[in-house]
Amino acid sequence: MSYMENIYICLAAPLLMAVLCLRGNVRRTFLFLLSGMTACLLSAFVSSFLAGITGTELKDAVYEIVPAVEEFIKFSPVLFYILVFLPEKRHAISGALVVAVGFATLENVCFLTEQGTSELLRLLLRGFGTGAMHVVCGMIVATGLYFLWDQTWLRLLGTFALLCLAITFHAIFNIFAVQTGIVFWVGSSIPLVLILTGWLLLRKRISITE
Amino acid sequence: MIETIVNSLQIAVLLVCTGFAAARAVTRRSRADTFLALLYCSWALGDLYWMTCLAFFGRTPQVPLVSDLSWYASYLFLYMLLRQVSPADENTKSGLLPWLGYVFTGVMAVFYMTWGKILGNLIYAGLMGLLLFASIRRLTGGKGSRSRSCLPMAVILFCLLEYGLWTVSCFWEGSTLANPYYWFDILLTLCFPAFLLIVEKEARA
Repeated sequence: MSYMENIYICLAAPLLMAVLCLRGNVRRTFLFLLSGMTACLLSAFVSSFLAGITGTELKDAVYEIVPAVEEFIKFSPVLFYILVFLPEKRHAISGALVVAVGFATLENVCFLTEQGTSELLRLLLRGFGTGAMHVVCGMIVATGLYFLWDQTWLRLLGTFALLCLAITFHAIFNIFAVQTGIVFWVGSSIPLVLILTGWLLLRKRISITE
Repeated sequence: MIETIVNSLQIAVLLVCTGFAAARAVTRRSRADTFLALLYCSWALGDLYWMTCLAFFGRTPQVPLVSDLSWYASYLFLYMLLRQVSPADENTKSGLLPWLGYVFTGVMAVFYMTWGKILGNLIYAGLMGLLLFASIRRLTGGKGSRSRSCLPMAVILFCLLEYGLWTVSCFWEGSTLANPYYWFDILLTLCFPAFLLIVEKEARA
């Protein structure tokens, strides 16, 4: 058993110090990173609570409850930022991505402490796979925020709908992540392939417009 | 076995449609095609989640939250598509007829509550009511062109097929093609490419 809150304190303390000392864009980035880690900690508590009250076993909760809780809580710092600070689009989008990175970082560290550090190949796939999956989910919502920004009804409905899409993608990934062998390999590779494809397409598109 | 075949067929159709709609969205920079691609993608992921659970755990999810959310998202994308492709005339009054949509989904929700959960049925009724309300309003509201009235009609047909699917699942069980549930599921699958054709027609008009 690992004490997630202890790990969180160890990782969050230096970030918190940096947030207090820094200013401007870097400070905002560190705050989003910290928010992502906090969201990860809260998600673990809320998921366990919901699994308890619905009578769902923890192994089933991983793909039935956890994805919805994680994506909603992960989005809440970005939502707060949008509603309170009314930021520019690009700041909201980069915020959503950094929150996702912070979330994935704490999740991976907790995975390391539970599963050990002996299997390098599995850890590589797990690390890159989970990291990529959270970034893909963040990008799904962030792209929607950018695309659906102009009208209030679109922003509300579209963001909720994209969040639901991200939850389903996350849940399917979690099903693959708890398997072993080739299924685990394929499942972990999907978000990586998606990110690489997106990056290549975006790069090509940028070079065309240039 | 037949359920797997029908679901796989639906996923395959949806993935092909997603590809077409996404390609059109990128090349034309069209918002309607983006909504269409997201609708297909969302529905496909919901189906895929359901199928993956069956394949790996031998049963459907006990808490169907995730698949329900993906289908809610699909209805929302369909509503956005409807508003984008066929905007309603705000100045034209359409009377009480569109409210029939909400009455119908409300009555059906009460009926389904005897089988299923209250909250889930209420959310489905609200979303389906919204789709039916918006579609009937567009059909009765103004003098829209012929191509503009195609999508609302397709949405009404889609909603009725969904209700047909849900209703027969209350009375018929069994995993053979004699079960009308599968007929409705196949008809629903055929509805998806129809949306693609209608949006294409609208873009050319």
